[in-house]
Amino acid sequence: MTTRRDFLRRTTVGAAAVGVLGVPAFGAAQGAPTRTPVKLTFWTWENPQQRPWLKKRIDQYTQQYPNVSVEFQYFAFSDLGKKVSVGYATGTAPDGYTTGDWLMPTWLTRKLIVPLDVQQLGYASLDAFRDDHAPAFVAGAIHEGKAYGYPLWFYGVLNHVNTKQFKEVGLDPVKDEPKTWEQLGEVAKRLTVKDGSKFTRQGFKWAMHASQWTAFQFNPILLQAGGQWFDKDGKCTVNNEAGVRAMTIRASMTKQYGAEDPADSLATAPVPWMDWLKERAAMFSAPPIGPQAIKPINPAMEAEGYYKAYLMPGVSDDKRYSTCYGFNCVINVHASKEKQDVLHHMYRFIMSDLLDCWKATAPLTLARKSGWTDYPEVKSTPNIQAILRAKDTGVFLPRTPVWSELADAMHRAVQKVTLANGDIKTALNEAAAEVDRATAELKKG
Amino acid sequence: MGRRLLPWLGLVPLAGLTILVLLPVLWMLSTSFQASEKMFQLTMEWIPAAWHPENYPNALHRAPFPLFFMNSVIVSMAVMAGNVVFCTLAGYGLAKFRFPGDRFALLAILSTLMLPLEVTLVPTFLIVHSLGWLNTYQGIFAPLLVDAFGIFLMRQFVLGVPSDYLEAARIDGAGELRILWRIVLPQCKPVLAVLALFAFRDSWDQFLWPLAVVSRDEYRTYPLGLVRFAEDYGNPQTEQMAVAVMATIPVFVLFLLLQRLLKRGFGLTGLKG
Amino acid sequence: MAFVLPALLFFVFFKYGPMGWAFWLSFTSYDMLSPPRLVGLANFAGLAGDPVFLQSLQNTLVYIVASTTLVTLVALLLALAVTTRVPGARVCMGGIFLTNVMPIIAVCLVWRFLLHPHGLVNQLLAPFGAGRIDWLTSDTTAMPAIVMVTVWRFAPYFMVVFVAALAAIPAEYYEAAAIDGTRGLNRFRYITLPLLLPQLFFVIVVAALLSARLFLMPYIITGGGPGGATRVLSMLIYETGFSYLKMGRAAAISVVLFGIVLALTLVQMKLFMRDEEA
Repeated sequence: MTTRRDFLRRTTVGAAAVGVLGVPAFGAAQGAPTRTPVKLTFWTWENPQQRPWLKKRIDQYTQQYPNVSVEFQYFAFSDLGKKVSVGYATGTAPDGYTTGDWLMPTWLTRKLIVPLDVQQLGYASLDAFRDDHAPAFVAGAIHEGKAYGYPLWFYGVLNHVNTKQFKEVGLDPVKDEPKTWEQLGEVAKRLTVKDGSKFTRQGFKWAMHASQWTAFQFNPILLQAGGQWFDKDGKCTVNNEAGVRAMTIRASMTKQYGAEDPADSLATAPVPWMDWLKERAAMFSAPPIGPQAIKPINPAMEAEGYYKAYLMPGVSDDKRYSTCYGFNCVINVHASKEKQDVLHHMYRFIMSDLLDCWKATAPLTLARKSGWTDYPEVKSTPNIQAILRAKDTGVFLPRTPVWSELADAMHRAVQKVTLANGDIKTALNEAAAEVDRATAELKKG
Repeated sequence: MGRRLLPWLGLVPLAGLTILVLLPVLWMLSTSFQASEKMFQLTMEWIPAAWHPENYPNALHRAPFPLFFMNSVIVSMAVMAGNVVFCTLAGYGLAKFRFPGDRFALLAILSTLMLPLEVTLVPTFLIVHSLGWLNTYQGIFAPLLVDAFGIFLMRQFVLGVPSDYLEAARIDGAGELRILWRIVLPQCKPVLAVLALFAFRDSWDQFLWPLAVVSRDEYRTYPLGLVRFAEDYGNPQTEQMAVAVMATIPVFVLFLLLQRLLKRGFGLTGLKG
Repeated sequence: MAFVLPALLFFVFFKYGPMGWAFWLSFTSYDMLSPPRLVGLANFAGLAGDPVFLQSLQNTLVYIVASTTLVTLVALLLALAVTTRVPGARVCMGGIFLTNVMPIIAVCLVWRFLLHPHGLVNQLLAPFGAGRIDWLTSDTTAMPAIVMVTVWRFAPYFMVVFVAALAAIPAEYYEAAAIDGTRGLNRFRYITLPLLLPQLFFVIVVAALLSARLFLMPYIITGGGPGGATRVLSMLIYETGFSYLKMGRAAAISVVLFGIVLALTLVQMKLFMRDEEA
């Protein structure tokens, strides 16, 4: 419920802090929804920057509102979804948890999360909520006029390059930025160093270690080539002409430019950018990688700062975009009304200090549009322009209930093409058939 | 003269084989003392140029591994005890007693090993939940207390105990439990050692079941802690190796303790030399 | 009979109930997030026409047969090797057993690294003219690589079983053999091996059961790749149930796996248990 006092506080305090209207500030006098003791469970995924910060904010919240106690648990990223699913199956799912935006259909279609009261989150209306976030991002969380997810972070995928290696082969890190796929191939070729048939340095590396990565790296190429994942009848169309073109681009790094060795990678699930960090690859496509991720493995790179992030290339230099994805806070539909209210209140509190969030989790960008991009700490972050542009221009992953099957099918297809020299059309046909089978089963079941 | 030398000659291939087999373990050991940047160097540096033993205390600081290890020890010891008791009883019963349906009983027991845990996870979880045992030690070890593997192991070994002794004891009027305790078990020391070792070891490595049952650090077992620790790209991977080395120790110590029981018969078997 | 009762009761409570539920589940559609819904034989029909399932089925059969055979053979050979009179043999046994004790996450990390195209295994094979082998990314070598890691991991496990068995052979048998003049290979063939039959049965059955259920190793090392070449049924079950949230289908695949393993076990029981009537 918006009181006149709240509204004024929002516009004056918020405006004074950042000069932008509509920022949902969190006044100290804002009362908790309830005074009775409330026990909550909240689960999130492990990330060395995001998880400790979330915990810190939640601890600050429970200190300020001592009647609320929160059991905070975190799991390995790939385990969180499974734990929550098993939780729902057995009645032990947490009251609140975080989830990736590509998983929203999973929860939404089965009505497992509650529609959020945007006013409790500090917005006057759904439109105000929508306007304060990247529209395509919240579109995945808005269903039948209600918002179901409260956005935390969302970021775009960038082309990370090693500027020292660029200079070594006579390239200029500013002027020679690859803007099209052809340019990327040519630049990669120049950066490649071989010792006989063995690659000492690969020019550009695609991720091959996990299907989620294959899928989100392929996603923008497909869309740029004019293709789409599904047609209007729900049939998978990754094997049409545009899909073939996209796969050709994907495979070109190895086949056409000889700048990559798909079998030679040291990537692991927690550190997919290992080859780039170990300077075995000059360029790599990934979400924002900051000093905290670089330092443990390549302290010299971090200290001397010889890394740069570009936008990923495009089929033409004005059609450059990559995937963007993000994370929401959601509320379990089985949580009591009282717990739901407290969770709204807590979520709003967590995201009420965006500068603090940035300091802890940079360069992982926030989902909210307003209230943080003007801070000097943000502006002085290396590569921030590219990072923000990647997020703002990115395209989303297909929001489909068969996302996992789709990712696995694409992963197999990419392996067949790049590792086994398989025929592109055949591999894509098989992938499309797999996805269609999965969709059909979902409908049947 | 050649006779005495021969055994020593055998040591060369045997030791060579052992070291070859152990290369991955040695890699783990070596990497655990390396600086984090040295992980994944394709040209191996078997003896670290610079030793970093601080990986061990650092790892223990970054996550509550002492707690996780202790939890693992408690759970595994319970599983070991349960298996030693119940599998021995059942294995003995299957080996030395003929009753209608005993073949079927063996098959039925083995059938519990034929469905993977993933599909029986949810109902098993519901059972444990209904007993109120989520996030407790008994919740983790209860479904593991008796394993068909152990029953089958005991059965096959007890088959080799000559039945004459048992018959003689029965004629003498000894009770069944006494026969088991006094006559059968002393002859089964090697297999009991194996049973105890394997029960402990299998429980020690368990991941999926504890992941389902536990959502609180106080009951987390070390595999859960290690996987979560590995997900954090701020944790040097060399520290992961340090934790892995530490995790190897308890089972290995148990093996060393029980190894004495495996000793009988050494040197009397096998091929010439 | 009474001796077996406690174990059977335990199984009824903790095992047969869930197993029955899993069988029932194979006739339903269940995503864990909503209640199961009966769909009859639809899951099974779906499997029959699914190339991914059929490929996994084939991979599994190959994997079970290859692993079981090799694990049994290597375990037996290792056991014989460490129970000779070679000094230090027992130390070697301890060392070899370490491979089974190493945490699985470390095992996978190390082997992925060792089997890298420029990794240690290829470096060691280079003098033999092997050239570069893409162990984990070539569909001809991926399954052999997984089998190799499985044997490395589990042969020591069963070696200990054989060692215990060898330790239990009464000395009198060997003394009698010595008096007879039976030595070496004959002694092994006519005395040791027959006495090892019960454990041989055990190792073969359990190795088969283990390799049918095992999935963490291939899952982490190759992820089922390349192109599904190392995806085995147990992995497919895990993915289908927990990633795709199609538990009913996963249960159906489990039933198929159950059938295969049951058949294998029955065959082995027939083969080995003939002599037990004595």
